[in-house]
Amino acid sequence: MSFSDLLLQQTINGLSLGAMYALLALGFTLVYGILELINFAHFNVFMVGSFIGMWTLQLMGINGQAVIMTGLPLIGVMVVALVVTMLSSGLLGVLIERLSLRPLRDVKGPAAMITTIGVSYVLFNIILLTVGADSKNYPNPLPPIQFAIGDAVLRLREILIWMIAILLMLGLHFFVQRSKMGKAMRATAQDPEAARMMGVEVDRVIIIAFFLGSALAGAGGLIFGLYYNFTSFIIGFTAGLRAFTAAVLGGIGNVPGAMLGGVIIGLIEAMGGQFIATAWTDVIIFSILVLVLVFRPAGLLGRVAPNKS
Amino acid sequence: MNNRPFTRRTAVGIAAGVVAAGTLGIRRVWAADKSVTVGINLSLTGADAESARRIENGATMAFDEANAKGGINGYKIVVTPFDDGSATAGQYDPAQAATNARKMVSNKATVAAIGPQMSGAGKAMAPILSEGNLAIITPSSTNPDITDPKFAAQYRPEGKAIYFRTVATDAFQGPYMANYYADVLHVKSVYLLDDSGAYGVGLADAYQGQAEKKGIKILGRDRLDPKAADYSTVLTKIKSLNPQAIYYGGVLQAGVKLAKQAYDIVPKMIKGGGDGVYGPEMLTAVGYPANEGWYATVASPHVTEEAKMAAWVKSYKTKYNVDPDDYAVTAYDAAMVILAALKQVTDGGKEPTRDAIRDAIQAVKVNTLQGPVSFDANGDLQDKTISVFQIKQNKDITPGDMANYHYIGVAPSV
Repeated sequence: MSFSDLLLQQTINGLSLGAMYALLALGFTLVYGILELINFAHFNVFMVGSFIGMWTLQLMGINGQAVIMTGLPLIGVMVVALVVTMLSSGLLGVLIERLSLRPLRDVKGPAAMITTIGVSYVLFNIILLTVGADSKNYPNPLPPIQFAIGDAVLRLREILIWMIAILLMLGLHFFVQRSKMGKAMRATAQDPEAARMMGVEVDRVIIIAFFLGSALAGAGGLIFGLYYNFTSFIIGFTAGLRAFTAAVLGGIGNVPGAMLGGVIIGLIEAMGGQFIATAWTDVIIFSILVLVLVFRPAGLLGRVAPNKS
Repeated sequence: MNNRPFTRRTAVGIAAGVVAAGTLGIRRVWAADKSVTVGINLSLTGADAESARRIENGATMAFDEANAKGGINGYKIVVTPFDDGSATAGQYDPAQAATNARKMVSNKATVAAIGPQMSGAGKAMAPILSEGNLAIITPSSTNPDITDPKFAAQYRPEGKAIYFRTVATDAFQGPYMANYYADVLHVKSVYLLDDSGAYGVGLADAYQGQAEKKGIKILGRDRLDPKAADYSTVLTKIKSLNPQAIYYGGVLQAGVKLAKQAYDIVPKMIKGGGDGVYGPEMLTAVGYPANEGWYATVASPHVTEEAKMAAWVKSYKTKYNVDPDDYAVTAYDAAMVILAALKQVTDGGKEPTRDAIRDAIQAVKVNTLQGPVSFDANGDLQDKTISVFQIKQNKDITPGDMANYHYIGVAPSV
């Protein structure tokens, strides 16, 4: 394997990781942008999403890697799985907001953030106690098609991850920038008081933010399962923490920043593993985070938040 | 005529009466029967839970059989299970293991224990058990440090051996497998991976030492984070270095992901590990054909397929509705050792105290399922056999059946 092929392969690996982190990071950023709340429940909405995706695929009769599909049936199955997973995860996010966060809306301080940690543990333990502690073999109907570029290999599932991630991110970007609801979201993010006075229904905006963020986490969970062919109750932690780092790195509250942060963290993980050692991955990632925050406290693309009080 | 309505107070009264009667009833039974308590500590939560269940079944089965026969000299055995796995760790958690050890020691009725399943838990438990002079017999933890006299100050500060094993250690499991790679598979170059746990690092170290002596070239070594999902980076690196084989020291939390991704990136490479990759999840969660070809070892003789074991295997299967693996056998053996020690102490009419039971275990000579068991001064098993297996699907049995690990033979000794 020549050095350039190796570099190319690690870039492919890093971009796939990055796409997943970016989808997750968007959820953190959406909610933070509007509520200034770090939503730790997001970690495990992602995890639950991967299980919902698994059950959906299993209901359609796909088990393990034994059933391979191509053409239209494959696209149909993927679309159904994606839609069901995103809707269910989105509703889960709305439910979390309605049950555990709205009653705390007017409480100052870190109460809401700590509540999200609690919710995260509730989800985690529900899955642990009902589904069990062992890793699950993820149903995957994707044919094992791969393309050789020199000695590097690009697999169909990598292309699929990138396509889904890019489509979802573009969709979100246009929704936030172009639609009326997106405008309301941006207004609420800037100043919820003023937005409310201008007739924006802030509660609805918050629900939409939770729905979209959680739906993207669900999509991330499904993609995770399809990419790694496994899921387990514990996957939320590491992926969630790295995605959160990605959101902060890109500038929390900033949508393109979250995407950029995700891709950067993914590439760092791949290149760090290649040239230094995998044991150092977290050290490298978090050192870079610290450096960025020291020199650019608002993150790479973030602007220093205007004083809201 | 008394037509007092059924009030809340009467309800409470009745409930209290029932509870009191129940308590009295239990007391009467306890007073008539003598009993000793045996703690069992395994990783029942997390990635190794399925293997833990099989071990727990093995030990419980032996105690149930003894109790059904009226106990040992009238002593019934009460089993208290402990779980050292935690949800946050997703596998064994040394902190939880230490807590469990303290609970065992503080319960005066506990005279011996079985476990732990994992060496990382054993390292946390041993010093606490040493202070309580409570003997524990592990059916599966293989890290040699815990019983090594070099580390006696750390793992048995009170001096006496309290950590006994019905398995061999990684001081044999790693090197014997290195011999197998060199002599049988004719491997010339290898890449080492471990899962950063006490067991995994120790096993990979032991393997590495012997592999170097055997002239196998070590092309590199990396440490996997068991909580991370993605090992494609390190596997891509391995692909570019192109060793003939991979040796993985570690348990299944990282092992399942490693096996899946290794099949995608380096499908043809020889892959193997220790008893950490010998477990049902390696079959069901990894799936065929990704797991096929993986080598695994077990630090005990392979007896479950022997003809004389057929009756035992059958009664295990009927009782628990799952196939026993070799560590279910070593767990049953550990329970047999405790029963033999209890018998030896109580035969003379002595009280089965913790101290007496420990001394009896130290001196034990008992015929178990795996053969005669006795311990050296450090608590290690005298007999050291490492069995080698390879995963190959047998379409006639269920995918999760441990018989999909095909027994190859005994690994060449050093």
